[in-house]
Amino acid sequence: MADLKSLTLKKFVPLLKDRQARFDAAAAKLPDFPDQASVIAKALHPKRQYLKISEIKDVSSDCKSFTLVPNPEKGTTALAYFGAGKYLTVFETVNGMPVTRAYSISSSPKDSLEGRYVLTIRLVEDGLVSRHIFDTWTVGREVEVSAPSGNFEYQPLRDAEKVICIAGGSGITPFLSMANAVADGDEDFEMTILYGSREYDSILFREELDELTNKCDKIKVVHVLEKAKRGFKGSEKGFITAELIKKYAPENEPYSVFICGSQQMYAFVDKEIEKLGLAKKYIRHEMFGEFHNPKTQEDYPAGVPEKVKITVTVQDKTYIIFGSSSDSVMQILEKSEIPVPARCRSGECGFCHSRLLSGEIYIPKHLEYRRLADYKFGGFHPCCSFPLTDLEIIVPAAK
Amino acid sequence: MKKYDVIIIGAGNGGLAAAATCAKAGLSTLLLERHNIPGGSASSFVRGRFEFEPSLHELAGVGSSETEVGSIEDMFIRMGGDVQWHTHDSTFRLVVPAKEGDKDAFINEDGVLVSVDARMPVGFQNFARKLDEIVPGSYDSCMAAFDLSTRMFKAFECLDDPKKLPGSIKDIPDIMRMVSHTMKEGLDALGMPKKAQDIFNTYWCYMGSPASQFDFLYYMCVLHSYVKNGTGIPHMRSHEMSMALDKVIRDNDGEIWYNSEVTKVIMKDGKPAGVVINGEKEVYGKYFICNSYPYAVFNDLFDKKDIPEKQLKMLNARKTACTLTTVYLGMNVTKEELGITDYSVFIAPDSDSDKQYDAAQNYFSNYCIINCLNEIIPDCTPDGTCQLFLTTMTFGDVMKDIEPKDYKKFKTKVAKDMIETCERALNISITPYIEEIEVALPPTFARYLNTPLGTPYGYMLEKWDSMLPRTIQYMGDQPFDNFFFCGASQERGDGYGCAYYTGEKAGGIVVKKMKGGK
Repeated sequence: MADLKSLTLKKFVPLLKDRQARFDAAAAKLPDFPDQASVIAKALHPKRQYLKISEIKDVSSDCKSFTLVPNPEKGTTALAYFGAGKYLTVFETVNGMPVTRAYSISSSPKDSLEGRYVLTIRLVEDGLVSRHIFDTWTVGREVEVSAPSGNFEYQPLRDAEKVICIAGGSGITPFLSMANAVADGDEDFEMTILYGSREYDSILFREELDELTNKCDKIKVVHVLEKAKRGFKGSEKGFITAELIKKYAPENEPYSVFICGSQQMYAFVDKEIEKLGLAKKYIRHEMFGEFHNPKTQEDYPAGVPEKVKITVTVQDKTYIIFGSSSDSVMQILEKSEIPVPARCRSGECGFCHSRLLSGEIYIPKHLEYRRLADYKFGGFHPCCSFPLTDLEIIVPAAK
Repeated sequence: MKKYDVIIIGAGNGGLAAAATCAKAGLSTLLLERHNIPGGSASSFVRGRFEFEPSLHELAGVGSSETEVGSIEDMFIRMGGDVQWHTHDSTFRLVVPAKEGDKDAFINEDGVLVSVDARMPVGFQNFARKLDEIVPGSYDSCMAAFDLSTRMFKAFECLDDPKKLPGSIKDIPDIMRMVSHTMKEGLDALGMPKKAQDIFNTYWCYMGSPASQFDFLYYMCVLHSYVKNGTGIPHMRSHEMSMALDKVIRDNDGEIWYNSEVTKVIMKDGKPAGVVINGEKEVYGKYFICNSYPYAVFNDLFDKKDIPEKQLKMLNARKTACTLTTVYLGMNVTKEELGITDYSVFIAPDSDSDKQYDAAQNYFSNYCIINCLNEIIPDCTPDGTCQLFLTTMTFGDVMKDIEPKDYKKFKTKVAKDMIETCERALNISITPYIEEIEVALPPTFARYLNTPLGTPYGYMLEKWDSMLPRTIQYMGDQPFDNFFFCGASQERGDGYGCAYYTGEKAGGIVVKKMKGGK
């Protein structure tokens, strides 16, 4: 059999000496080598962005646009660039309670290069955080946000070249950013926005949308008015139905449908979209948003106590807290002033991934994003999990 | 204030194995991780109705013969980590589409004109027979290579257990020859025909260094492990392995703090005494095991004056290994409908591994590995779907001309090229059926792993800095007598099994020191 005898043995001994010699000969300083991969990673995914409000505009009677600019005093000198459709998580403290909310960026990616994000926020009736924002966000106020996040973006390798964008109310914000990106040449697809509003006066960004459609022939906007007293040219009356989508969709070529709106709108439009018989790949849904009232769900079990006890460990501290079974685990923790890592609050981003040691939880089916091994080892997302019994959990530190 | 016996920085594969080893030995153990889940690269992520495997191709240390269990499976059994394994009985398929003027080119079963199409089985004899079928006259040299690796593996155990040395003493000259010669020199000495060597060297990319640079011994270690008993993967993506180790650590009273990034190492009397977490909280320990990269650790966590000179020199003498780019695809058709028949196909622009290495220096190289998880776990995606995982590698600062604002478009361009490379080489259509897609380039890895250039592979395993020299000099390479590195930057380079090995070993060193050498 063939063997290695022809190879010299003499080369082995110098090998270890060679290694030592190479280390000895090297410079004794921290290397400084070009590493654009790390530069890009840090630029696009800063841990936190420290911003200031530079301008506030009333968009409608219950909706405002806040322009946010870098706050160099706190260490943010430039904004993270983003793909149109992404959101920012806003970190606030309301009466000592740490809270977060995710809002789509309504301005264009290009604006961020000039140091500007716009968040358009609607005042939600009984909304804790939006009320707080409307009360306290004034020009000059400091605001802390996450890096741009989320997956609600146009992806040319997956999506059709023509996209029907279905927006409801303030759900227009990511589409406004996308339309600007298309007009700027940063994205390349044809978008037809079916924009549902209650009535003419509740349409947000009507003029901006008009301008965009005039400027760029890849953008069309059809206003769909629920309670139209007076329609106008090119508008539709009623709801966004399968019929209406078909009317504006291309006939003999594939199209994608993107949807962003309120939970009530999803409940209606999702059923309509089902009627279209589209392949799943052509339906992209913006995140659901924070879920409330689990007890109204058909599969919610009977006999759940109103009040539950949660034993929660964060690093080396263990707390015993009490809360309502109608609140998500995350809300109960926040109400007990325990900071929780939170981003999307819809189960999707996985940022609040925690450990369930004992007890049972309810997770609405459409917010089920646990990984397979999470079922096996008790991983769960507090933001969309509701306690059914007393719980014992471990939650990562908020940072 | 509580002082831990051991603080482990980073819950990657190495850190998890180290923490499990220490916790099981009864040490008070604290594992710190800056992310919210364990595993580093060994994880998973969900998009739509798909759960993707982020990094694992296959584990050589899973799969058992009648007499022994693979090393990784064995570790999980010893630790008590509950993982459901799937095993697989082929190694790789190498497809080299024909270049113009190749007179030996032929049309393969997919209808593609190729220079090489080698589908290699598990088992030394099967592998050698198949190689001989493709390149007549290569059987003997192939078997001789596996005979060497078999003897070498036995002798290698002496490194960890010198008592076994006498039995293997006659093999030492061959080991010395293997470690001091390259793959090509070794296979030439055994008389393996060039074309067979090309097929034999297909796994070079798993090492992150080209065939002309790593030693014969190291490559044979790797190939031997894959061919011997086949390979395996966990049922629930590698998140299952990491979560299983997380449970082992907790069940043995170890603590794991997630979202707890070490931002500084606290020094006392010239050596580490504690760490600062998230810039605010201090914890103290007697020993430290670090699963992060030396460059990031010294750059970010130490005052310059506290860094031992040798560590700085090591950082400068070594080259960062390759970087990876991966495309994750959730498909709305089955693998049969796509026409995919193999778990793992290596598509290369040239059969010569050194030329593959040259091509893979940058993007758009026509070098791509395509994996289909459903081939091993048929129900890993919902009915009527499958998932694909494309990988290519690059070297150096390949992002140097890309600005953050152009990154998204560049990512799509790279992904499109990789998909089209696979479509051409396998004569299949992928693009129309993409339901979910994620693309990870070096910045993605830099973000999650915090490594220079975003490498998941550590330092290049060049001949002078290969596995054996690193193993022999491990203790001398560590910065302090109570601080030990583990993971891809250490003895064995990248790979799950390598990281687990270094973690267990570092854990073992600390356990031994804590228990006074007993």
